[in-house]
Amino acid sequence: MLGNLIKYEIRATRRIFLPLYGLILVFALVNKIFISANYDEFGGSVPFTVAMTIYVLLIAALFVMTLVVLIQRFQKNLLGDEGYLSFTLPVKTHMHLDAKTIVTVMWTVLSLIVAALSIFLLAVDANTLQQMREGWPSFLRAYEPFGASFYGVLAEVIILALFSIAEVTLHIYLSIAVGNFSSRHKLLAAFGVFLGVSVVEQVVTSLLMNAGVRASIFSDFFVGFGSMRYGWDASAPVLAGFLGVQIAYTLVFGALFYFFTDWILSRKLNLE
Amino acid sequence: MDSILECRNLTKYFPGCLALNSVNLSIPRGRIVGLLGPNGSGKTTLIKLANGLLTPNGGEVLIEGRKPGVETKKIVSYLPERTYLNDWMSVQGIIDFFGDFYADFRKEKAYDMLGRLHINPRDRLKTMSKGTKEKVQLILVMSREAELYVLDEPIGGVDPAARDYILDTILGNYSENATLVISTHLITDVEKILDDVIFINMGNIVLTSTVDDIREKEKKSVDALFREVFKC
Repeated sequence: MLGNLIKYEIRATRRIFLPLYGLILVFALVNKIFISANYDEFGGSVPFTVAMTIYVLLIAALFVMTLVVLIQRFQKNLLGDEGYLSFTLPVKTHMHLDAKTIVTVMWTVLSLIVAALSIFLLAVDANTLQQMREGWPSFLRAYEPFGASFYGVLAEVIILALFSIAEVTLHIYLSIAVGNFSSRHKLLAAFGVFLGVSVVEQVVTSLLMNAGVRASIFSDFFVGFGSMRYGWDASAPVLAGFLGVQIAYTLVFGALFYFFTDWILSRKLNLE
Repeated sequence: MDSILECRNLTKYFPGCLALNSVNLSIPRGRIVGLLGPNGSGKTTLIKLANGLLTPNGGEVLIEGRKPGVETKKIVSYLPERTYLNDWMSVQGIIDFFGDFYADFRKEKAYDMLGRLHINPRDRLKTMSKGTKEKVQLILVMSREAELYVLDEPIGGVDPAARDYILDTILGNYSENATLVISTHLITDVEKILDDVIFINMGNIVLTSTVDDIREKEKKSVDALFREVFKC
């Protein structure tokens, strides 16, 4: 059933993202052609300026849309009229949350990849390709001495990034779900809840940090961090540990948002 | 006890309004029940509680002895009073959707009914009139082989000519053992298919009776009795 929910969630959202991805890549290429055709001649020309402006606006639109779609899908598909169908499907309530969070993380990652790819398209030419081909082995060689610990840290960075996207998504879902209790001004209430939860999160973070500093938990970390300049081997475990704590921290907040949202949707649901 | 839907002291209030006042009710299997009451009497609230779209403030509603949840949603086919269809799917798409989620959904049935109502399965839901969307929803709901059908104002937005067809559709597509709860205030149109009626007003059950009893004892049609009971 989760697979089905994800399938339809992707179907509902891909008609917005896929054309946008296509447009961005096309406009990156168009700009590329302007640049490579003759930079001096086209550099200040009107078509180039227009094409470049459209490209920049499309990139901006991509990230705005990622946020708008995330909010709209939750609001309309669960708490709006479509919720009458969503909540009468024979699936556990948390599966709606699971599917929506997974698909949001997927589109956010894809959007980042497409944006990066378009910049690569814009910047790349035969020369850079040649350089990359030649430079790749030495690039790999440069990281060789770091060994497995480098990939460990890299994996942690990726996990932290994915968890962070999911955590922010769930933070927004919780805000909308709580905002929905307000009979009027639902969006305003949701925004207030979002800010309120953010403040709480900040306060908790700084309290923990302060307590940590007082208890000298972090001294090892700072010493380790300072030793970064003495070599990777000494600092990698410290960095790995720090990232691990970050991941756990994000996980705890994400889990709190998840369970509270699920509780509201399954125990306190009141569709209008 | 062999009731498919049961309410025990079911209470629901909204800010400034008591929508259901400790309702006790038991609907047996295999009946066609009219849930009748004026606008704002609590019909939709009762139905939404049974489908888990509202949370009761007190008491409970049970379907086959269970509170609304995954198991009850498998056996209840619900037609809300509003359009719950999204605007990006085609009719075909929404039929696949129902097929994917409800094990008791029969696609052939749905396509057959669409054909008879001259609705093109490739049409987008977005381009349809409100009445056509309601017909599509009814087809979706009646193409399930559910144990309990709950239809909230199934004919409200449909022209009188299509009403008879829809009532026939409802009657022709529900299985013998199933129960049908129809909420409406258009009583004359549905009266002929009902076995039982429940009159509800201001959150209270005013009367429950079989239609035969009303005709024999009161010598009245359900419509006439309704007008008498709910006289303004």
